[in-house]
Amino acid sequence: MRDVPPDGDDVPEQLGEYRRIAVLGGVYSNAPALEATLADARARGVEAVFCLGDMGGFGPHPDRVFPLLREHGVLAIQGNYDESLASGRTDCGCGYTDPRDNHYAAISYRYTFEGTSTENKAWLGALPRHRRLKLGPHRVLMCHGSPRVINEFLWESATPNGLLRHLMERAEADLMLCTHTGIKWHRALPDARHAINVGVIGRPENDGRPNVWYTVLTAGPDLTVEFVPVHYDHETLAREMEREGLPPEFAETIRTGWWTTCLENLPARERARGKY
Amino acid sequence: MSTPAVTRAPAAPAPLAPFVGLSTLWVQITGTWCNLECRHCINASGPRAPWLKPLDGETIRRAIREAEDLGVKEIYFTGGEPFLHGEILPLLERALHVAPTTVLTNGTLIGPEQADALAGLAARAPYSLEIRVSLDDPDRARNDAIRGEGAWAKAVEAVRRLRERGLLPIVTATEITAAAHPGPGTMHGRFRDFLRAQGVERPRLKIMPVFALGRQPASGEVPLTEEDLVGFDRSILQCADGRVVAAGGIYACPILAGLPGARLSRGSLAESFRPAPLYHPACATCHRTGMTCRNS
Repeated sequence: MRDVPPDGDDVPEQLGEYRRIAVLGGVYSNAPALEATLADARARGVEAVFCLGDMGGFGPHPDRVFPLLREHGVLAIQGNYDESLASGRTDCGCGYTDPRDNHYAAISYRYTFEGTSTENKAWLGALPRHRRLKLGPHRVLMCHGSPRVINEFLWESATPNGLLRHLMERAEADLMLCTHTGIKWHRALPDARHAINVGVIGRPENDGRPNVWYTVLTAGPDLTVEFVPVHYDHETLAREMEREGLPPEFAETIRTGWWTTCLENLPARERARGKY
Repeated sequence: MSTPAVTRAPAAPAPLAPFVGLSTLWVQITGTWCNLECRHCINASGPRAPWLKPLDGETIRRAIREAEDLGVKEIYFTGGEPFLHGEILPLLERALHVAPTTVLTNGTLIGPEQADALAGLAARAPYSLEIRVSLDDPDRARNDAIRGEGAWAKAVEAVRRLRERGLLPIVTATEITAAAHPGPGTMHGRFRDFLRAQGVERPRLKIMPVFALGRQPASGEVPLTEEDLVGFDRSILQCADGRVVAAGGIYACPILAGLPGARLSRGSLAESFRPAPLYHPACATCHRTGMTCRNS
């Protein structure tokens, strides 16, 4: 599961140069939230939209998100869920130990695996695991979990500055973007580097509100980081999930904003903010 | 207490686990000094003459400094019983300044003052403080048969005290009493129900396999061979990205801390950054179960 180094063959040599970009993570088959996010990003005048992986899982009708990603030219990288689907693995690689968490993860993975076309699995399999670009003066590295491990959790309360400095020095980056945990955060390090978890648009972030989040980054004398809330028709999504026979606990999360399952990896501080 | 017997070396050299970088620093703060004497303790800790000595504060501060420079992700304090160490609170505070920090405890020494101090640490720290409280069975009699008379009541009281102060301890159990619970239901389910009944709304659990070392009699587990590891990604083993500072040097894993075969350096952490021999039957348990001593 450990990645190749971020300066390996899967990173394009020619770096794109941008001033203002949108970055989203964790689509989790939430097509209405993806549609709303893309419209919002367009309205904000971004030059490009990037997605840090995990297109499927959790939500209904997995194949619905792929036409949106392709038609809108979203520049994506691979998440652990994408890697599992593309390689035909029998589980999502989420690494839970609690049988309750594994029960829900297995339902979600089986449903998503069966509902994702061969063509879309191949598309996921062809995604790079990292991307590099320039945002103004900043050298940006995009990854899913962390630059070193695709399914590594980088939570705000469990990611030390020393680790971030170490990861970015190795990657020769000033700005590291990741997702995977489902909760956004931004850390400006004393040496002017920045680490940003861009959040996810597939489910709310365990704060009791049903909206989801993505991130807009603007280069300038200083880097501007905007976490953007996205409101979408979450009730319709929850009903579709119920019609598809997905667990009621998943629909509850979409409606209430509280996570109900797969909680075992949350550190104390993040867990204490949730309801369950 | 004498040093537990070292397993006879296999004929072929032990297979090696690669070292991929320091992610986890373990601090064997009290060595094998403990106020309990659990029947299944992996390093035979107890109250009398610990075979592995506690560490002094300066050795620990030095290791934390070095680990910070090396990009450590998380720090764990274990023993023995960490709360027997006179400097546990300032050392936890120091560690929390560097990385998220976990302390593994039997909970019996967490009185109201200690719980207040931990809540204060957690509130001030930039990173999460995790407190793992050991309990081997929700049933008092079954637990105390393993951990000693009165251990259940004190551990459950510690969980309650921590919860009242807004902390969410992780109750940690081994599978030692699993066979005593035939029928449907899982250990996770039993503990979850028990903790909810104690008023813990957000129960957190860590279940570990039983290791046949320390006070636990030998099992049929035999050391790994190269053949056992064909097609297996050795970089997922905890000795691939973790190191333990304990009396006598730096060791490959917390289960084997103090055993000469697991010692990788007598000096700095950086000197221990080399492949670790998977020489012990416990390495086979790790490989077979996919377990980690980390929180997740």
